[in-house]
Amino acid sequence: MIGISQIGVYIPERQISNLDLLEKFDVSEAFVREKIGVFHRARKEPEQKASDLCVKAFEDLKRKTSFTLEEIECCVVVTQNPDFNIPHTSAIVHGQLELPEDCASFDISLGCSGYVYALSIVMAFMQANGMKKGLLFTADPYSEVVDEDDKNTALIFGDAGTVSLLESSATLTPLAFDFGSKGKSYKGLINEGKLYMNGRAVFGFTATVVPASINKLLDKLGITKESIGRWYLHQGSKYIIDTIVQRLELDERKVVFDMYEYGNTVSSSIPLLLSKDIGSLRAGEKIALSGFGVGLSWSSAIFQKN
Amino acid sequence: MSAVSVEQVLGAIKKAKVITNVDKLDPAVLLSDQNVDSLDLSGMLLSIEEAFSVEIPDEDVDGIRTVNDIVSYINEK
Repeated sequence: MIGISQIGVYIPERQISNLDLLEKFDVSEAFVREKIGVFHRARKEPEQKASDLCVKAFEDLKRKTSFTLEEIECCVVVTQNPDFNIPHTSAIVHGQLELPEDCASFDISLGCSGYVYALSIVMAFMQANGMKKGLLFTADPYSEVVDEDDKNTALIFGDAGTVSLLESSATLTPLAFDFGSKGKSYKGLINEGKLYMNGRAVFGFTATVVPASINKLLDKLGITKESIGRWYLHQGSKYIIDTIVQRLELDERKVVFDMYEYGNTVSSSIPLLLSKDIGSLRAGEKIALSGFGVGLSWSSAIFQKN
Repeated sequence: MSAVSVEQVLGAIKKAKVITNVDKLDPAVLLSDQNVDSLDLSGMLLSIEEAFSVEIPDEDVDGIRTVNDIVSYINEK
């Protein structure tokens, strides 16, 4: 079975401090700390594009694990801020990494739910086609589209890139996935020139669909939430994480939270968290992932370390 | 639906554990003057919608500034 064996990450060094914007947006440090959960937002250089974030993440992956380029059979990029509308960004990454010509490459246009959706898509694609090694990138630089004067969005989003090495010999494999969409609510997060987010609508959506999605997965597998070793929830904001934790009555100690120093990195948020733990998961440990947002859409999964 | 009271509304907010100082909320005072920020208000309104099966559209939110406003809103639905 195809699984995740290692994750490379890239967080740009340049940061913008939310603490410098307290007066501009009439918010307190306590609000930034306890509700937003972001002190600094990572910012790519203006000339960098999504493909550049992917290549940087790949360099990190190469430092963590060894494989040859010739072994890579698919190259997938999750992004909604591609280098160009045409061609797909994964083609650009394929070229920059000099991947083999028989390597498939395609993009997946999803936001915050993108990583979990993509895990299912790419694993199934690889399995169906007898592939043994593939690369799944996430790179969605919202700095390209955020209105820095919009209080609803300016304090939240950061730039980052990740790459997950998916392979047939990996020991972190999926047990089940859940997916969903509320397309009628698509205007809740939309880019019509600049990003617009209806915070209340997105919060209400997240607070209701994510617990239901998780419970559906637990029921499907016949397991309890106590059997989950770690929870990797999309880092939308500290408030939404706290709300999900409260509604699901989760053990806070098992819920990974780490967005203070780079922000909400969209589809990169879950792999960024997982990259720090992937080497320390214990055999038999189950982890839960849940991404939610743009669409509005969500995807959850439970994986197990074998 | 029979008329909803202030106590019932505060009870729903408290049960949802949206904010920590529900017992100290003055129903007549602006929520924004009682350390209830915009995110807290979103959480409160979601808990009210769920507890009383009412939908509060965005265009009505500006008119909800106190707990008394919430009570009136529900009872006028």
